[in-house]
Amino acid sequence: MRGLLKFGIKVRAFYRAPIWRRILNFVSRHNAIILLLTVCCGATTIGTFVVRDMREANIEAEEIYTRSVHGLQRIGELQYYTQETRRATLYALTTSDSNFQVEYADQSRAADQRVKDGIAEYARQGEQPAEKDLANRLTIDWEKYLSVRDEVLASILEGSTKEAVSLDLSKGVPAFELVRQDLNEVKGLYEQDAARRQANLVTVSRSSTSRLIGFLCFTFLLSIAAVWAIQRSRVLSTVQLAKLQMEFVASVSHELRTPLSVLRSAADNLADGLVEGKTALRRYGAILQHQSRSMGELVDQILLFASTEDGKNRYSLRPLEVTPIIESIRADTETLVKEAGFTLDPIIEPDLPLAVGDRTGIMQCLHNLIGNAVKYGGDADKRIVLRVDTAPLERGSDRELRIAVSDHGMGIESSELARIFDPFYRSPRVQAVQIHGTGLGLSLAKRIAESMGGRLSVVSGLSTGSTFTLHLQIAKGQEMTMATTVSRPMSSFTR
Amino acid sequence: MAELTPPSEPLAIVVNRSNPLDNLSSAELHTIFLGGRGYWTNGRRITLVMREPGEPERKTILRDVCGMDEEQFKTHFLRGLYTGEILVSPKILATPSGVRKFIFNVPGAIGYLRISDVDATVKVVRLNELLPEDKGYRLHVQNQAVN
Repeated sequence: MRGLLKFGIKVRAFYRAPIWRRILNFVSRHNAIILLLTVCCGATTIGTFVVRDMREANIEAEEIYTRSVHGLQRIGELQYYTQETRRATLYALTTSDSNFQVEYADQSRAADQRVKDGIAEYARQGEQPAEKDLANRLTIDWEKYLSVRDEVLASILEGSTKEAVSLDLSKGVPAFELVRQDLNEVKGLYEQDAARRQANLVTVSRSSTSRLIGFLCFTFLLSIAAVWAIQRSRVLSTVQLAKLQMEFVASVSHELRTPLSVLRSAADNLADGLVEGKTALRRYGAILQHQSRSMGELVDQILLFASTEDGKNRYSLRPLEVTPIIESIRADTETLVKEAGFTLDPIIEPDLPLAVGDRTGIMQCLHNLIGNAVKYGGDADKRIVLRVDTAPLERGSDRELRIAVSDHGMGIESSELARIFDPFYRSPRVQAVQIHGTGLGLSLAKRIAESMGGRLSVVSGLSTGSTFTLHLQIAKGQEMTMATTVSRPMSSFTR
Repeated sequence: MAELTPPSEPLAIVVNRSNPLDNLSSAELHTIFLGGRGYWTNGRRITLVMREPGEPERKTILRDVCGMDEEQFKTHFLRGLYTGEILVSPKILATPSGVRKFIFNVPGAIGYLRISDVDATVKVVRLNELLPEDKGYRLHVQNQAVN
């Protein structure tokens, strides 16, 4: 049950964020993988084209080979059977036995039928006008020769050998020569077609080679660019982190040194006996208390950040009533707010639903936001508004619970809004006006919000102030039931 | 055991399909088979096709058309060729299919076939206006005797 609930909260938390933010988060987290995937996709796409070209070239080559072989075979057969037709006819001259003569005539006719079939196939398969014309001419010339051949055969069978020879020489030979010329032309056309197809193949092959080279160059350049981008990103991140850490160390040193100096001088005065009287002692006690508390809070914040940084921070998520938490945070920050001359005005919507979260997490988050409001709230309007209400989600029909902390201070430049949640980031403007800090508060608040399945948003304008809003899920259905029946934590959520 | 009368089969006179001839009288057939006529009306030379001596079909023709026996027929042609009255001796074919093929190849050829050996490659000529299947057709070849 707890597992299901935890999974549901995770999924809902993910899908509640706007799509562009989810994409940006995903890209920023997986930039190296995305670059490599892009390279792979590019390589695959171009590779597909290259493979397609190569396959086309192979098919073309196979077709050329098949056509050439088939064509040569067909021409060879045609030439053989035309010769066979004539040869069998002339063989009939070599005998006076009518039975043999009839057999030779039969052979001649069988051969001429093969020639007719071959010509018909050639005519059927001819694609170009020249091929069709030639097929027609060959058919006519072959028919002319056959009519002479029939006369020659008849003369041979009749026993008129001289007449047969004379007819063959006068008409048969020229007619057969025409057929041979036609066949030579057929062969020439085949050769031309093969040459044309070969030229096409060479062109396709060259194109494939060019694409392959282009593909290799592209992949190489893309890989270099990807590696360079990854390395640069890492170096920049490292440099930026180092810079931020240096600034952080400087800030922390400064933040620690200030109360430490006060503590030391107060301790020195007390040790030297310079403090006399109850009133002075109480004042020194208050100073020591305040400074030591400040140092403690600073150390707590650093430790908390470190714990969220390594992913070990855990919150027990459960349905919570928010109003008591608001009361608690108001009480906790009362001194801080009052001492800075601010007022904290809670505006709480009646009949608030239960929110999913962790009491400590919400307290830490709001403490940071109120601390920021005090720090950057300016001097003009020292009013901090703590507004709690519900609103519909950006996506879907569900609602969410919002806790907004608004100040009327210096505000944040729009160009800085994207960076204010980065760890250790401190605006140059606040550094310039000597507002001290570690740059961890907002980063920490954001992490806490997300650890609870919520999020942190900001709306700000220069000199008009800023509003930071903690968005929490509203407990519903089963969570509500469990909230009323189970007093222990329902689940623990690890970021 | 009594000897059964052997069955007979009509013997068709066949010519090349290009030959315009449709009918022959018994006298014309007699003249042609004895080499007395050299050309058809279309100018084609007449080529006589015979089966080998001893074949029943040849015997029928010699008996019923030529009115001779084998010796008389041979003598007739030897004398005709010697005197120049006959220009070409008959062509001798060993098989019915040989006869068919010869006649198919030679436009002026004429021969004879049992009706069962006739196919579309040759043309059957009426004899005295009768086809071989007709009643009264006079050329029939006797099959071998069956005991």
